[in-house]
Amino acid sequence: MQKQVRAWLEDGKVDVFLAYKMDCGHPLPHAFTRERIDETEDLVTGPARYSLEKFATQIAARHPEKKIGLLARDCTQRALNVLAVWNQLPAEQVEPLPVNCCPSALKPHADCTYLEAPATGDVKIQRGQDPRQSLEAIDAQEGSERFTRWMYEFQKCIKCYGCRNICPVCFCKDCSLEHPDLIGTGHLPPDIPIFHLVRAVHMAGRCIDCGLCEDACPAEIPLRLLYGKVNTIVKDLFDYDTGASDALSPFSILGDKPTLKPAPLLAVPQE
Amino acid sequence: MAGLAAAFGSGAMTNSYDDLETAGCFFVIGSNTTACHPLIARRIYRAKERGAKLIVADPRGIQLSNFADLAVNHRLGSDVALLNGMMHCILRNGWEARDYIDSRTEGFAELEAAVADYPPERVQAITGVSVRDIEAMADLYANHGPSALLYAMGITQHTTGVDNVKSCCNLALLCGYVGAAGGGVNPLRGQNNVQGACDMGGLPNVFTGYQPVTVPENVAKFSQAWGRPLSDKPGLTITDMVGAMLGRHIRALYVIGENPKLSDPDWNHLHHALKKLDLLIVQDLFLSETAQIADVILPAAAVAEKDGTFTSSERRCARIHKAVEPVGQALADWEIISRLSSAMGYPMDYAGPSEIFDEMASLTPKSYAGMSYERLGLDGLQWPCPDRDHPGTPILHTQSCARGLGKFHAIAYQDPAEMPDQEYPYFLTTGRMFAHYHTGTMTRISPHLDAEQRRGYVSIHPADASKLDIADGDLLVLASRRGEMEAPARVNANVQPGCLFMPIHFGENPANVLTNAEAYDPLAKIPEFKVSAVRIAKAREASP
Amino acid sequence: MTLKFVPSICSYCGTGCGLLFQVMDGQLVGTLPMKTHPVNQGKLCIKGWNLHEHITSELRLKHPLLNTFGRMTKVGWDDAIGFAADRLKTIVAEHGPDSVGVLVSAKITNEENYLAQKFARAAIGTNNVDHCARL
Repeated sequence: MQKQVRAWLEDGKVDVFLAYKMDCGHPLPHAFTRERIDETEDLVTGPARYSLEKFATQIAARHPEKKIGLLARDCTQRALNVLAVWNQLPAEQVEPLPVNCCPSALKPHADCTYLEAPATGDVKIQRGQDPRQSLEAIDAQEGSERFTRWMYEFQKCIKCYGCRNICPVCFCKDCSLEHPDLIGTGHLPPDIPIFHLVRAVHMAGRCIDCGLCEDACPAEIPLRLLYGKVNTIVKDLFDYDTGASDALSPFSILGDKPTLKPAPLLAVPQE
Repeated sequence: MAGLAAAFGSGAMTNSYDDLETAGCFFVIGSNTTACHPLIARRIYRAKERGAKLIVADPRGIQLSNFADLAVNHRLGSDVALLNGMMHCILRNGWEARDYIDSRTEGFAELEAAVADYPPERVQAITGVSVRDIEAMADLYANHGPSALLYAMGITQHTTGVDNVKSCCNLALLCGYVGAAGGGVNPLRGQNNVQGACDMGGLPNVFTGYQPVTVPENVAKFSQAWGRPLSDKPGLTITDMVGAMLGRHIRALYVIGENPKLSDPDWNHLHHALKKLDLLIVQDLFLSETAQIADVILPAAAVAEKDGTFTSSERRCARIHKAVEPVGQALADWEIISRLSSAMGYPMDYAGPSEIFDEMASLTPKSYAGMSYERLGLDGLQWPCPDRDHPGTPILHTQSCARGLGKFHAIAYQDPAEMPDQEYPYFLTTGRMFAHYHTGTMTRISPHLDAEQRRGYVSIHPADASKLDIADGDLLVLASRRGEMEAPARVNANVQPGCLFMPIHFGENPANVLTNAEAYDPLAKIPEFKVSAVRIAKAREASP
Repeated sequence: MTLKFVPSICSYCGTGCGLLFQVMDGQLVGTLPMKTHPVNQGKLCIKGWNLHEHITSELRLKHPLLNTFGRMTKVGWDDAIGFAADRLKTIVAEHGPDSVGVLVSAKITNEENYLAQKFARAAIGTNNVDHCARL
């Protein structure tokens, strides 16, 4: 791995390579470059997962001429597809270097052991949504029970916006979560369930199930289940597999031809 | 801190965040944890979801109350009565830890006599918490241990702050939770380096590591190390300095990284005091309210612009690293202090923070001596860390308390300095909201935080609001015996009827115009921010 | 193009969360939680996530200032330090070291707090040292 990255940098295949470097026992994200090529000897591939593709997007926005290499787990690859579809990161500007995800029971779903939902306690199982459940199990809950359980989870929210901040495919300049007409400000918990449902809706056709949001949530809200549900609806309605290819999202309003015409927010309905 | 030190011999959080998750029961009193220490609230959520019990006692309804097995709203400033009532019930039911009391504590007889006067019926009359709830709190705390007690400014910012803390310590000692994993008495620090500032001798009566300035050996040691004869006379606290400024005994004040004009209890009082100074030097990141009236303003580097260490609530000393150059001509505080000192004829010539840290560690034998930048790494170390092989200390007082025996203090309840009366019929309490921090100098200029809350407000219960015909957003005039100010109303059932809440972050609605500088704890000199009496009137209706 | 991630500790509340400052082309552009830090385990609150914003604010003080008859004047470091030191020396000479107070800070580093109290005790000669933790 280290040799391959070194070769890519030396050959000019990439100008910068995003991976991890150990610092006092902590794997920290690091941008490896030709100028400091010897650092590649300290390159590690994990075990932590940072939003490398988000960093790549930020580099690309400033330096469209730079070729960016990065470690790519399966979810990173899906994120790169989505970012290309939404015109955030041109596919030709990135060079993913596939890395083995940790083998796990979740392999078909997502590939990292850190994504395995942690064993949870009795109270959460009784009152909230156990993150180890399948979507089918949640669908099988009676409507009011399902609502109460989700509301229990949302009530814990401390409005850190970490789910959005860490998301590799969240890139909007103006975020609906901060639109005062949609979501009230200045109190905890935030407006529930609107806060979480607004974000869930925006994840339709975008969420690549990397699990970074759930991992960043201080309140341990099972966000992967929530966004996973949204994506199964997208799959059922539009037969669209988010991140599986560079096919245009059914919700794409970017690019040459807008598919949806946004209406003014406070427009008065015409008679 | 004075209360903790008196009870256990060390003024710091007894346990660690990791350890909190092993608690059988949490007792959170005077801490709006999800707003002010969100990543500690996370530990409570986690333990709670695994089955730990949670008791929340706060004059306001807070987010954590929604998850509590028992949440009570005791009357503002009645903490001692509530805690004594719990102890009364514990003793009456024989739930106390007898062996622990016998082998590891002193002063139990005095405590027993003191809390005998607090049967739950009397406590209900003082606190407004029902007899049944007081008994249930005692049961949860004593019988689902180990129980971790967490508190913040809601306990300390009272005229009885030290008594409140001592009462918390009494309760934990009574059940044998001090020194136990998952237990302890855990003050949550409001600022990132309060613990460090105290540890470093940023106090009038002690050198680093709480070595008193009145002990001749300490004075001799530091005099020799620093090459100057030092004073053995304890200095003035900030509260006393204000008085000394008014009396012209203090002529010059050097303020580093503080905004006392907004954080001091009585805005008018302090403003006059600062105006009397011959010289005010302010060193800060911003032109704060205090800097605006300074004679010399020195621009300091921010956290990302320098190297050094902070010490957190759990006594963890950890490194910060310089990420970018300071803006403009700003310099790190240590460089500014060194330059000023050298210009004063006392040369300070350090290559960098690492050298300063090593000098400090060599003079601080019990807590920091075993630390060095190399050893701290990225995880840091928790003091006490007395030598180079010591792994740090996650839980204090495990074998015995730092002072030997844990000391019970017999504490009687006292009313706050100011109670509502006919003229000023409402209680006012102050605090933080989740997106802002202290005097707002750092958060209000941060676009994402400013967007959450742009201006000050005063929370009022719907029943009081309808009585006074106040709607959400109406501008209110609040007046106390100190002064008056305006703020828009926020009608909100989280406050109790008869009680108002104001955040402290907003200079244009300065809550400290109303709060009381005369009322402070006699020992800790912490002002009573949490309780004042005010009257309110509607100034004008909300603009549509 | 340069991009680096510099480990640090949050400077808001006393929890002490581990974070990374994201620096691109020499500019501070973001704050991230440190995934493997023992305190916060890869999570932050709203204040932590936005820690960089106060540092990059336009409102930061960039020069030493002297306030002469209500007018703020930009000065160099030597002038500012020289003025402050001269005035302090005069006040100490006329009124004694206990006529000076030093407020250290719960926001600055341990090293800086150590130096500040050393400055008060050794350079000035007073124990009038305190900080706003009481407030």
